[in-house]
Amino acid sequence: MIIEVNDLVVEYKGVRAVDHVSFSVKEGEIFGMIGPNGAGKTTTIECIEGLRDHYSGSIRVLGLDPKTERKRLYDLIGVQLQETSYQDNIKVWEICKMFSSFYANPLPYEMLLEKFGIADKINSYVSKLSGGQRQRLAIVLALIANPQIIFLDELSTGLDPQARRSMWDLIKELQKNGKTVYMTTHFMEEAEYLCDRIAIMNRGKVVAVDTVENLIRMFDLEDRVIFRVSDINLAELERVESVTHVEQKGSEICARGKGANLVHNVVSYLNDRQIAYSGLKVIQPTLEDVFLKITGMKWEETE
Amino acid sequence: MKKLYEITYIELKLYLRTFVNVFFALVFPSLLLLIMGGIYGNEPSEMFDGYGTVDVSVPSYTALIIAVNGIMSLPLAVVGYREKKILKRLKATPIHPVYILLSQILINLFMTFVGMVILFVVGKLVFDLHFMGNAFDMFVAFLLSTLSIFSIGLLIASFAPTMKFATAVANIVYFPMLFLTGATLPLEIMPNVMLNISKALPLTYAVDLLKGIWLGKGFSDVAKDIWVLVGILLVSTLISIKNFKWE
Repeated sequence: MIIEVNDLVVEYKGVRAVDHVSFSVKEGEIFGMIGPNGAGKTTTIECIEGLRDHYSGSIRVLGLDPKTERKRLYDLIGVQLQETSYQDNIKVWEICKMFSSFYANPLPYEMLLEKFGIADKINSYVSKLSGGQRQRLAIVLALIANPQIIFLDELSTGLDPQARRSMWDLIKELQKNGKTVYMTTHFMEEAEYLCDRIAIMNRGKVVAVDTVENLIRMFDLEDRVIFRVSDINLAELERVESVTHVEQKGSEICARGKGANLVHNVVSYLNDRQIAYSGLKVIQPTLEDVFLKITGMKWEETE
Repeated sequence: MKKLYEITYIELKLYLRTFVNVFFALVFPSLLLLIMGGIYGNEPSEMFDGYGTVDVSVPSYTALIIAVNGIMSLPLAVVGYREKKILKRLKATPIHPVYILLSQILINLFMTFVGMVILFVVGKLVFDLHFMGNAFDMFVAFLLSTLSIFSIGLLIASFAPTMKFATAVANIVYFPMLFLTGATLPLEIMPNVMLNISKALPLTYAVDLLKGIWLGKGFSDVAKDIWVLVGILLVSTLISIKNFKWE
C-alpha cells in the first residue's frame, strides 16, 4: 500500500473533524474521496500531505511519516491545494522556475506546460489565466518534482463542464504514466468516471471504501424502469415479479426493483395487457444514489 | 543558497512591478528632496543649526524610505502571501516558507538601500550635498534603523489575519510616523506637544540616528537612539517569531 491511514483523529476547537478514519491507497490507482462540504475530506488529505501536525493515529506515505519525514516526502509527492492563488504580477515561467529551484531533480517545466496545453501561456501573468488554465498550472507545479503520488484537492471545482472534461483526460493520463492519484471531489460523476476506488466520507467518518460497482452492489440499490402511459393499474403493476415499488408522477410511471429480469417482466406485463407506453428508460443506480443513501441528504444540499 | 537566490530574484522582479513600491520608495523621496531643496537651497540654515536643508533632509528621507518599505511593503506582502495560501503551498515543498519571508526582508532592505543611493545621487548632482560622517558608521546606522523598523512590520504581519486588517494597521502605524518623526517635516519646527508625541514613535529614533551620523556625530552621541532601536528590534522580532502563523 502506497498510503496507509490508521485510526486518524483530528480535533480542533473541541470539534472532531476526522473521527477514527482508516483506509489505504494502492500504488497506481486513482483514489477518490467524496463527501459533502465539511465532511473532513480536506483535513484528511492535509494530514496525509504533511501539512498538519495535530492529529492522532498513524499515517504512512511511501513508508514515510508525514509528520516527521516531511522534507523527504515532498521530493516524492506533488500537491495541489484547494484555493491557492499565486503572487500578484508573477508570470507562468517565473512561478515554474521558482518551484523548480526547490527540487534536486526537477522535470523541465517547459515540457510539462507543453503536455498540459499551456505552453503558449509561458510568458503570461498567472492572474490572466482562465480557471482551467490555472488548475493545469497547479498540476504542472505539483509534477515538477516528478512525484510518485499526486494529491488533488477539489481540482475541478469552479471549472466549466468543458474544462472539467479535459481535466479528466489529464488525470487519466497521469495514471497511465504510472502515478498514483489521490483526489477529493464533490462531483459524483467525476469520481465515477475517474476513480478506481472511492472512499465516502460523511461527518468525519469514512463510511465505505470500494470500487463504484461494489459500492452500488453493497448498498443494495434498485434499478428504475420509467415509462409514460395514459392509464394503468398501479397496484397490479406492483405485483409483477421483481418489482418492489411503483410511483407515479403525472403520466410518468416509475417501477423500482431488482434482478436481471426487471425490465423484461415490466415490458411483458405492459404487452400482455396491451398497454401502450412510450419513453421507456432504465436507470441503473449510480454513485450518487449510494451517496444520497449514506449521507441521508438530498443532492442539492451538498453544494 | 541557490533556492534563496532564485526566490529572491523573482520576488525582486515582483517588487519592481508594483507601482506603489517603486513610487514611494524610489521616486517620491527624491521628488520631495527636489521640492524642499528647490525652496530652501542647501545654504547653511539657521533652523538646522547652520546645516544645509538638503544635507539634513537626505538622512531624514532615508528614514522615510525605511518606513514605507518596512511598515507598508513588507508586512502587506507577507500577509498577502498568507491570505493567498502561498505560504501554505510552499510548506508542501522541500523548502520551508521561511525562505520567502527572508527573501522579502532582503528585497526591502536592498530597495531601501537603493532608495538612499538615489537620494544621495540626486542631492549630489542638484544641490551639492555634503556627507560629514564616517561611511562605515553610516552603514551600521542604516542597517540598525532598517532592521528595527522592519521588525515592526514583521510584528504586524505576525498577527494581522487578513490583508484588510494589515492594511489598516500599517496605515495607522505609518502615517503618524510620516509626519511626526522628522522623516518629512523637520522636528525643529514642532512645538513641545508635538515633540512629546514624536518621542513615542520608533521612527523618530531612526531619523535622529541617521541624521546624527550623517552630520558627523559618533555613536556615543546617539547612544539613546541606538538602545531604543535595538530594544524595538529584539522585542518585535521575538514576539513575531512566537506569534507567526504560516496559514
